[in-house]
Amino acid sequence: MRRLFITTILSAILTAHISIQANPALMETHCAKCHNDDKLKGDFSLSHLGSSPSDENAFLWEDSLDYVTLEEMPPPEKSELTAVDRELITSYLTQRVREYHEGDNQPLRIKPRRLNNRELANSVRDVLMIEDVGTHQPTANLLGDTLEDGFDTNGDALGLSEFHLEQYIESLRKIVDATIHSGEKPETKTYLVSSDKLKVTNLSQRPREEKANRTDESIDILDIRLNAYFENFDVVPYSGKYRIKIRAAGIDRGIYAAEETGIYPNDPIQLRIQLGDRKHDFDLRDNKVTEIELEEWISADTRVLLSHHTDGLRMKGNGNFKFQYRIAHDYLKENNKELYGRVVREEVPLAKFRSTAPSHWVHWTSYWQGPRPRLYSAEVKGPIYESWPPKRQIALVGKNPSVANTEKILAPIAERAWRRELHEGELDAIVGLVQSNAEKLGTIEALKEGIVAIMVSPSFLLINPEDGDPADRFATKFSYFLKSTTPDERILSYARKGRLDDFRSVRSEVRRQFRKTEAEEFLKEFPHAWLQLDRINFMAPDPDHFPLYNRKRLSEDMVEEALAFFSHAIEENIPVTEFLSADYSFINADLAQVYEVDEVPRDSKLRKYRFKDGRRGGLLGMGAFLTLTADSLGTSPIHRAIYVMENLLGIHPNPPPADVKIEEPDIRQAKTIKEILSAHASDENCASCHRSIDPYGYAFENFDPVGAWRDAYTMQIAPRPSEAKLKEIETEDARLDSLGLPPLPRPWENEPIPVDATEQFRNGTSYKDIIEYRKLMLTDGNRDRFVRCFISKLLTYANGVEPDNYWEIEKILAKSAENNYQIIETIAAVVDSPLFREE
Amino acid sequence: MNINRRSFLKGLGGALALPLLESFSVGSIPTKVPTRFLVVGNPLGMHPEHFFPSAFGKDFTMSKTLESLGWLKDRTTILSHTDHGMVSGHGREVAFLNGILPENSIAYPEKNISIDQLIARRTGSSVRFPSIHTALERGIRMSWNSNGVEIKPYTDPQKLFDKLFLNLTTEQRKTRRELIERNGSILDAVGDQLSSLKRNGTKTDKERLDQYETSVRELEGSFSDRANWIDKDKPTYDISDHFKSFEVTVENRYNAIFDMIGYAFQTDLTRVATVAFPNELSYTDVDGVTRGYHACTHNGKDEKVIAELVAIESFQIAQLSRCLLKLDAIQEPNAEGSMLDHTVVLFGSGMGYGGTHSNRNLPIMVAGGGFKHLGHVDTRSSAGKNMPLCNLYVTLQQRFGIESDKFNTSTGSFQFRNA
Repeated sequence: MRRLFITTILSAILTAHISIQANPALMETHCAKCHNDDKLKGDFSLSHLGSSPSDENAFLWEDSLDYVTLEEMPPPEKSELTAVDRELITSYLTQRVREYHEGDNQPLRIKPRRLNNRELANSVRDVLMIEDVGTHQPTANLLGDTLEDGFDTNGDALGLSEFHLEQYIESLRKIVDATIHSGEKPETKTYLVSSDKLKVTNLSQRPREEKANRTDESIDILDIRLNAYFENFDVVPYSGKYRIKIRAAGIDRGIYAAEETGIYPNDPIQLRIQLGDRKHDFDLRDNKVTEIELEEWISADTRVLLSHHTDGLRMKGNGNFKFQYRIAHDYLKENNKELYGRVVREEVPLAKFRSTAPSHWVHWTSYWQGPRPRLYSAEVKGPIYESWPPKRQIALVGKNPSVANTEKILAPIAERAWRRELHEGELDAIVGLVQSNAEKLGTIEALKEGIVAIMVSPSFLLINPEDGDPADRFATKFSYFLKSTTPDERILSYARKGRLDDFRSVRSEVRRQFRKTEAEEFLKEFPHAWLQLDRINFMAPDPDHFPLYNRKRLSEDMVEEALAFFSHAIEENIPVTEFLSADYSFINADLAQVYEVDEVPRDSKLRKYRFKDGRRGGLLGMGAFLTLTADSLGTSPIHRAIYVMENLLGIHPNPPPADVKIEEPDIRQAKTIKEILSAHASDENCASCHRSIDPYGYAFENFDPVGAWRDAYTMQIAPRPSEAKLKEIETEDARLDSLGLPPLPRPWENEPIPVDATEQFRNGTSYKDIIEYRKLMLTDGNRDRFVRCFISKLLTYANGVEPDNYWEIEKILAKSAENNYQIIETIAAVVDSPLFREE
Repeated sequence: MNINRRSFLKGLGGALALPLLESFSVGSIPTKVPTRFLVVGNPLGMHPEHFFPSAFGKDFTMSKTLESLGWLKDRTTILSHTDHGMVSGHGREVAFLNGILPENSIAYPEKNISIDQLIARRTGSSVRFPSIHTALERGIRMSWNSNGVEIKPYTDPQKLFDKLFLNLTTEQRKTRRELIERNGSILDAVGDQLSSLKRNGTKTDKERLDQYETSVRELEGSFSDRANWIDKDKPTYDISDHFKSFEVTVENRYNAIFDMIGYAFQTDLTRVATVAFPNELSYTDVDGVTRGYHACTHNGKDEKVIAELVAIESFQIAQLSRCLLKLDAIQEPNAEGSMLDHTVVLFGSGMGYGGTHSNRNLPIMVAGGGFKHLGHVDTRSSAGKNMPLCNLYVTLQQRFGIESDKFNTSTGSFQFRNA
């Protein structure tokens, strides 16, 4: 069994007296044959190491240590390095790496960075003490944040320009305007929305022909792309609290087969109520009218839109809703011959513009009986205020503020926004701004100018832009890490009282934050960034070959699966290593179709499922990973290898040389990906790196572009062309032949090619399939790499920059190991590290 | 002359309906004939066999994709074998107009500023909008300012219309002026607080605070420019035809965008405009297209899918052609030639071809602009090396009077006359 890397470190510390002189000589003997200035295998020469690690080459020392420890270097087939000598080399490298990092007296200061858009929205929400920034989508004008390796916290990628600044002012004004009112109290009104006032419109909000089944008392939302709205209350007139009641039912569930509609029998029909970015999905009762009620603060100018929320009803044609009407045709033809016959005889021949083929969707629109919401009536009451000015306004600026009190009013707001105590006289300029505006604009409007200014300040827009009180700095980081927002009073006071100063107290606070569901942002955003889930539809699987993926929106299920696994990990505090070792995941009926498992309830809910085939479970079997690393028609073992290396094992392979020629995959050729990539083995230029890369990817070749299992490649088999076309091809072949050229490919004659998912790693271990590969991922060496990578990703998320202090990461790894790698303890160890605390 | 009398003017009419340049309306007559810059780009390149003509030189046949531009053949230069010296793969297309990736921009004093922004800085001070950026639904990260920040395009034709042509009422003007003043005061107050912050600022790094400070200063400058324009009327333009149609297709939305840009050029509202064709946009309105644009580039050489890709690419070129045809129908006021002869048109992509992710042979075409055009040019050196695309940009910037023989990663310039 291979030694724990942790013990290697400890033994290095204990055996520090070993002569370090002897080992450069050992390395010369065992490494320099390939890694010299002439040969430069893998772009590396021993001379790059110099005599000791420096800022420029420390990473090469660390990589070397990694390679030698994991027995990937020297390559087993070319070397006779004994275990004792290997130990001597690793001890030497460890020693030098440690000396380098311990001698580094540079403060671990992270550059201040701008808040990203979601942190901005959360922070404004908490500074103003409101539920969210508002339903009028006040931040929609902000420039999108650039992701760096999936992370939206990267300080360099988050630029700041005059354009940003102006957009901030615009957004902040909109939010503050919807929160603080200076006029008279608007009158509360009741709007009765009878069924004739219920209207349906398409997304572009232009009036169009009504596409809904209407009766005297109700209207159906027929098309999943349409929205219903209230004609006498289509836009919210004043910001305030509104009570909305809607009478609705779900109808016609189960008339058409689930295979046709894509709606599972156990899934309720859902009505979505959309208020700007805020969405609520309500389960409707079947054939029974119930009243949905909601009461909340809605901003002026918000449109209230109702729609049928489902991932179904896209199974026919190219997914466009209109083609679903064919189901009505098929159903009547089978089940109501009389009606069917009448339509075919009397209605189809009258069609003016479209096909007269009876099966054409256009003839069946009025006979649709797919599952859908039916709306009867609604009532809206509002705006309702418990007091005037509204409570939220009193909490911010008081009931009847005066200009003389400006500083007193703004100070607590500024302290929340700037996440620290104020410096003497710091608010003077902003108080001056309010005072100079008060006469012209009135007190309330002038105070709003001050509040906007507080949030345009760099103290708000940048995270920790100054060397302030270390407790405040820590509270800020800790809060943005777990909650992506300004620290609340509890975190601030705990930090100030020194109650977050050690591992134990950090651990119990992290635990509490998760238990109280206060760290939801982390649960969603961190795995999203770490696993680069944003990439999933960057190259979406081809709709012709993978119809289910597009028609049932599988990408959403796949992302949810990954997030559900991560939440489970936190909830159960499992060892981090279980991300790789688990034989379970969280799936629903859609994913069950891709993963080909039975015994899953027929609905869309994700449930824990234990796989019995040894192929799936945990991150390595997830559709999200397998899809986002694939092309639309084929798979690339290289993409998958690089993903595993960079995101799961923390290995950063060199990018290919600039002049490399990339062969375009040609699915008409009867070639496996291994044959196409044969240059990786035959060309020494490629091979020196790809021998280390490719083995991480080939094991996944049994998974197709949506992550479904395959034993053979069938994509290269094309349908047989027409006889006429075949004749043309034969003529062309004859011409080619006369020129001495090879004939055209005949992809319809191809045989399925069996998948070859075997490969050998650099260190000599090999696998014959994904089951063996998964076991190799669990060796001590790979386990340490995975945990180290996880730690590094947590720090990247927290700091907005990748950590480069190998030695401190080793200490976190040791702490995690002490705690059986449990995820909460690992997160706590990261937060307690100097790399997070910046001390 | 009362500018409001022109309010019935419709579309990009002929010479009779020629509107006044915007600058006339405030009493200053332009002494120089304006040169304009129109950039049209996509993020996925072009299917090379269908984009590049088979022969080099002036006597070539327009390729399938470029067919709709046949009428402009003599005033077109198609450049083969240019690149930005980048490895292949996605993510490099953002360097189309600058040759520098965002992550490397720190090495350049003006970061990864794009050529349109450099030119806009030159031409911008005499017009209402230094530059106009458009796309449908989503941008493709084509334009970058000197801070290395991408410039967000208008993605809704209606909003673009409002920005370009909607006149403010007296009340709105007053409000707008007040708002600019109020925003200015906020910046003043924040600037004061910033100075106190900088005194307490972190010792190890002031870079980001400096970036913030620059932004404040530039925004103040921009406010004062804008205050000057508030009282002036915008040209009138009627685009309602484009929005009346029952079906809102990609085509009539692009028509609306191109028409508005054409009219903005005509009235000298702006002299720099960009139009982007994003890869997420659904082109299923276009005849024969059923797949997503991006999916079509990964066609596994399936002829059916390639045909869809070429249909999308030809559609993009046809939109451009339609716009250029209109510009060419307008006589340039105070000068010889048509408006197109005074508009430098650049079409291209920062990616060579999406199917191979190759960035070695970018599809690039220059039209109009009064250049002596060369037809289809092989830009490779005698040693067979590709020409850096920034060499072309050097030539373009010089066309706008920017007296510099370098632009970002250029190694020389591209000669329209002698090549």
